[in-house]
Amino acid sequence: MKHWIKLLPIVSLLFMSVSVQAADKPSVIRFGLVGNAFGKPYTGGPLGYINEYGLLEKEFAKDGIKIELSYFTGAGPAVNEAIASGLDDFGNVGDLVVVVGKSGGLKVKYILATGQGNNTYIQVNPASGIKTLKDLKGKRIGVNKGTYIHLGLDRILDGVGLTEKDVKLVNLNAGDANNALATNGVDAIASSADRPVVDQGIAKLLYDTRKDVKYQSSPGGLLVSESFAKKYPEITKRVVKVFIKGQYWASQEQNREKQLILGLKTGSSYKNSKDDIADQDLKKKYNPQITAGVEKKYLEIEDFALAHSIIRRKFNLDTLFDKSYTEAALKELGLQNYWEK
Amino acid sequence: MSKIKLTMLVLGGLLIGNANLYAAPIPEVDAPEVTVSGDAVETEPPANTASTKEDETPITRSELQGVRSEIAVLSDQLTRQLTRTIANSNRALLISGTLQNRYSATTWQNTSPYNITPGFSFNSAILSLSGNLKKDYEEGKNIDYAVGLSAAGSVNPTKTVTGTNTYAMTVTAATFQPTDAYLRYSILPSLSIDQPYLYIQLGQQKRPFGVEPQATEDKQPAINLATFSGPTGLNLSARDIGLQLKGDLFPIVDLGYNLRTPTIEYALGVFNGTGPNQLENNRSKDFAARINFNAPVEYNSDFRGLTIGSSFSTGKQDLAVINNPSQFISGGSGKASKVRYGGDISYVASPIGFTAEYAVGRDEQALSAKNAYATALTTTTQSSGYTLTLFYEWGEQFQKDYRSQSRSDDWWPKTYQPFVRFDHWDPNTAVAGNETTVLTAGFNFFFAQTTKLQLNYTVSDNKLTNLKENDFILQFQYGF
Repeated sequence: MKHWIKLLPIVSLLFMSVSVQAADKPSVIRFGLVGNAFGKPYTGGPLGYINEYGLLEKEFAKDGIKIELSYFTGAGPAVNEAIASGLDDFGNVGDLVVVVGKSGGLKVKYILATGQGNNTYIQVNPASGIKTLKDLKGKRIGVNKGTYIHLGLDRILDGVGLTEKDVKLVNLNAGDANNALATNGVDAIASSADRPVVDQGIAKLLYDTRKDVKYQSSPGGLLVSESFAKKYPEITKRVVKVFIKGQYWASQEQNREKQLILGLKTGSSYKNSKDDIADQDLKKKYNPQITAGVEKKYLEIEDFALAHSIIRRKFNLDTLFDKSYTEAALKELGLQNYWEK
Repeated sequence: MSKIKLTMLVLGGLLIGNANLYAAPIPEVDAPEVTVSGDAVETEPPANTASTKEDETPITRSELQGVRSEIAVLSDQLTRQLTRTIANSNRALLISGTLQNRYSATTWQNTSPYNITPGFSFNSAILSLSGNLKKDYEEGKNIDYAVGLSAAGSVNPTKTVTGTNTYAMTVTAATFQPTDAYLRYSILPSLSIDQPYLYIQLGQQKRPFGVEPQATEDKQPAINLATFSGPTGLNLSARDIGLQLKGDLFPIVDLGYNLRTPTIEYALGVFNGTGPNQLENNRSKDFAARINFNAPVEYNSDFRGLTIGSSFSTGKQDLAVINNPSQFISGGSGKASKVRYGGDISYVASPIGFTAEYAVGRDEQALSAKNAYATALTTTTQSSGYTLTLFYEWGEQFQKDYRSQSRSDDWWPKTYQPFVRFDHWDPNTAVAGNETTVLTAGFNFFFAQTTKLQLNYTVSDNKLTNLKENDFILQFQYGF
């Protein structure tokens, strides 16, 4: 036994090696972002602009705070996991991701509406014999479950009297879904505007939501972990300010072309991206405010997700939204009247 | 065609396809930056308005032809690489490997001089090949294969008991031996994560028993196996040749985190019972079964990672003499009963977790070597062992989705994992004072995606041989 006592200093050292971080400001702010189908660490839209010009880095350089951006191929659910594990402080995710995460007890606040009107595209393999949306019944459909596209697909199916139980959903991330469609691994996939397999002529575009606004996504959200926001409220507000700057830039019609070009870094097709938002009012799309309309849409998503067994329980939306950061940031930027309330 | 080649061809096709389809103007970005002035937001005018006009000028046919020519050159280079420098296989193939290099030293022993010489050693090299023989697109009833080759040998010094307080070093040359070598068929559809899975595995594989015995070499927490799991104990970590059904029931899926947790996991197998790379030597077969219950919870539950399991196996072995397992009784081949059972509980969470395992062995043995099997007097020797491991960890390595990131640079996820382990082994519970205990304090430093540095300090006490010693082992495990 006495020899074991020799171990005590070693064990103590090992456990004491857990570092304790200073409380006044973080040394790094970590963002979890949705990766794209092409495996490139870029994104389009306002965030593409923010990253291209290093706005976050510039904002916090004087404080010596580093910025870390993680682009997850596992999309929104991976962002949720990173925040839940304490590996990320902020996450930029789609509508359904917010709802399933919060329903599962994720300790986050939705502090900024990042962009709405994302479309869902249904691409099909010609050999599948699918001619109409109703033909999807009994077919294998690849989709990244838990994402806004999953919700879009369920709503589209709902529109033709089908549910998930009427089809075979295969959980695939965007890149794998494209491969599966090209190799006949699935009969159809639900995706964003990126459709390289269709562009090659291997698959066909069956349907998309560009003309069906009711199936388009609700505003995605900038999430912050509750612990980070509580510990660093001023830092959180400054992050929101940077995001609003990005959305202000992207909301201007004169910058439509430029944001499309920035988006090319993701590997997305210029034409597809341009067509995707051609009919959309950019100012409305990038309205950062958590309006009553946003809250209503999230209530509808929650009800839909519960009814379709995507989530198991409801949660109080009041525990999700925190408008204070956006309101304060808009005021400081003089933009409180720029967007429609 | 290999997956790599298919992917490259698809990418090549995409490059060419995109260039052909879209000759739209793609000017350089000259984005005005948003700046704050007082309480207002202003946008700076573009620095070079001339470039904006240029941006709006469509490219000419000759310019487009130039782009096409460049892509054609790239395509040609790609094709040549595919035929000359990229490995090929008839079916999908994943090649991976694990290598372990060690430095070990005895820092204290109750005998003098110390019998173990400190030094560097190469512990093992494992080459693993796995892939798919049939891919069922319809339902995911795939046929997969796994082959592993390990050059473990005894390059690492081993201690052999030759008598009380007497030790000898046994060092043998490393030779490649098969580890895993099995086929796996998915009996149930495997495309839906919210449905139960069921597989059948045929070949050489891990037997379904316990937690640590089933962990592959690269996943074992401490450098040395828990004694009950290793060759000086019940040897439960050894592979065997046979047939195994593995499945799960009532999966809980949390879409918010891509999490799938089966409430029940089960395995049932029949094996030769003779160990790896050995032919059957008797008519009987070993049967092994395991069931474990996972807390049926979602991602954010505090109980996520809690598992309770139980394992059982029975079979026959050659009748050997008690206290001398290498001396066999004539006519007793495959006649002695062999029973193993155990329980385990584990909580594998972050940052704190533990695993606790208990295993019992009951072996029929002859009381002496004097009589042949027909007249031999036998007894049942019961052995038992348990181990408790506590760990604390922080870092990114064990977050499944966190490891899958799009990055423009190489990524070095880091995780730190200090742990302590208590290990107890009693080779004969009817005899007092013959136990072995090993206390290990360790630190695992995971860096990069497949690399870890392990530091273990062990304090062991073997009452049977009256040997006490403290050892330090540093192991660098790396893989590809």
